[in-house]
Amino acid sequence: MKAIETHQLTKYYGDQPGIIDVSLEIEQGEIFGFIGPNGAGKSTAIRTILGLLKPTSGSAKILGMDTETQGDQLRKKIGYLPSEVNYYDEMSSRELLEYHCRFYGDVKPGEIERLAEYYELDLDKKITDLSFGNKKKCAIIQSIIHEPELLIMDEPTSGLDPLMQNHFFEMMEDLNKKGTTIFMSSHILSEIQRLCDRAAIIRKSEITATEDIRQLLKKQMKKVLLVFETKPDSLELLEGSQKEKWHDNKLSFEYVGATQPLLKWLAELNLLDAVLEEPDLESIFMNYYER
Amino acid sequence: MNKNLYLKELKRNRKNLLIWMSIIVGFTFMVLSIYPYMAEMGNNMTQLLDSMPVEIQKAMGMDANTWSSILGFYSTYYGVYIVVLLSIYTTSTGATIISKEEKDKTAEFLLTKPISRQNIVISKLMALFTLCLIIYFVQVICAVLGVLLFSQNPVNWENFFLMHLGGFVLMIFFTCIGVLLSMFLQPKKNFMGMVVGITFGSYFVNAVSKSTDTTEWLGYFSPFHYMNFEITDPGYSFDYISGVIMLVMGIAMLLYSNKKYGKKDIAT
Repeated sequence: MKAIETHQLTKYYGDQPGIIDVSLEIEQGEIFGFIGPNGAGKSTAIRTILGLLKPTSGSAKILGMDTETQGDQLRKKIGYLPSEVNYYDEMSSRELLEYHCRFYGDVKPGEIERLAEYYELDLDKKITDLSFGNKKKCAIIQSIIHEPELLIMDEPTSGLDPLMQNHFFEMMEDLNKKGTTIFMSSHILSEIQRLCDRAAIIRKSEITATEDIRQLLKKQMKKVLLVFETKPDSLELLEGSQKEKWHDNKLSFEYVGATQPLLKWLAELNLLDAVLEEPDLESIFMNYYER
Repeated sequence: MNKNLYLKELKRNRKNLLIWMSIIVGFTFMVLSIYPYMAEMGNNMTQLLDSMPVEIQKAMGMDANTWSSILGFYSTYYGVYIVVLLSIYTTSTGATIISKEEKDKTAEFLLTKPISRQNIVISKLMALFTLCLIIYFVQVICAVLGVLLFSQNPVNWENFFLMHLGGFVLMIFFTCIGVLLSMFLQPKKNFMGMVVGITFGSYFVNAVSKSTDTTEWLGYFSPFHYMNFEITDPGYSFDYISGVIMLVMGIAMLLYSNKKYGKKDIAT
């Protein structure tokens, strides 16, 4: 059974395409990223999967249940974090979270307080008085408090300060270890790089690629910059090296290959300094974006 | 029905309910309490009334009996102001109770909960009709107390309650129109103007239709036409067939709204 399975899911807003033929398979226990520029269809895909939007054609299953006909049952197992948080202004965070929990029945007592403390959220302030970031914290809490099997998050870290982002990432890693499947959209590649096992790239309403993040990084070249005490008379470069350039006692080249042989080779050299630069996902994905 | 959502809706609407309830209760008591003074001037008022064009008398639902009994006096106000006020409150609540979630963008929160759309509609309608019943019965009770307090003669209670039954049917009918309306209009819209237009407009169309014979056909377009509030007429009776038809139409509107809501894309 897949955590999420969509089959040629398509949504048109009138003539405007939202998503076209989106087919995804997300395994249970996976952290799956969904990357794409603004307006590419990330939120449309998520809202269609959640049942907020009715698909024009195609179908989606979550944890083996059809999103159209079994929506209410399967949403019991889902936690959803929207990109823009809009809650009932007249409620306080505590009232909102209690209201939320009553839809799920049994939530551990004291859980609201524990999570509020973790994210440093003042529970008694009215929603309308909360800052953007604090609303987001409240939303994060409501997405995880009922211990969902699947977390769907639409740009989860927007509005959080770096410290809170870190808190958040740690919690996600922790939940994932306990078995929670996480599906998150983002246009911030570093968070995809940090958390995700695999990612799909969406562009102009269509999925252009689904990639294994680690494989992708493994395949990629590194930029190597070495500073020698004195420029050696002769130096045999490793296989996979290219575009070497000498500048006094500094050598720079590009390396494509496994990391271990490179490190062994480096260890035998008489170096003052060494810099290994891994091109970030940004430059990898820019290819997809610009295609 | 989802109890959590039902209770939340009642809580959310209680302030608005209290405001409208005080307006309607206040108005009911005001009308009944001025009756004794009006009755004293009864003869003068009858003369004054006779000097008015007969079209206006008919349109306002007034005749010589209007001043002669507290029910006659009260019924002219009930059929005009109280039913319209009740309907404005319940219709506007009906028009917003579901669409407000989309207007305030909280629909995304509610519809990602483990509750089906149909259950959302049912729970919200239950809350809506609970509010309708509360305001309706509070008004009736106040009217009974007011009549007991200010009436100088015995009162025909059967007619009194039949008239209020007519008010109930109209109020529910308009409420269902409000719910249906919210399925067709942009949630961001302010419904209040349209609600006042429909309820007061219906009354007005009926008033025009009653004033002359040539405009009588207009009445068929107004729900008010089918409910008679002139309880001092000797042949006063409640039109059960119209009442049942209006309630059935109301239920049909709700069923259609439920179906439509089940299929729609939720604006976020």
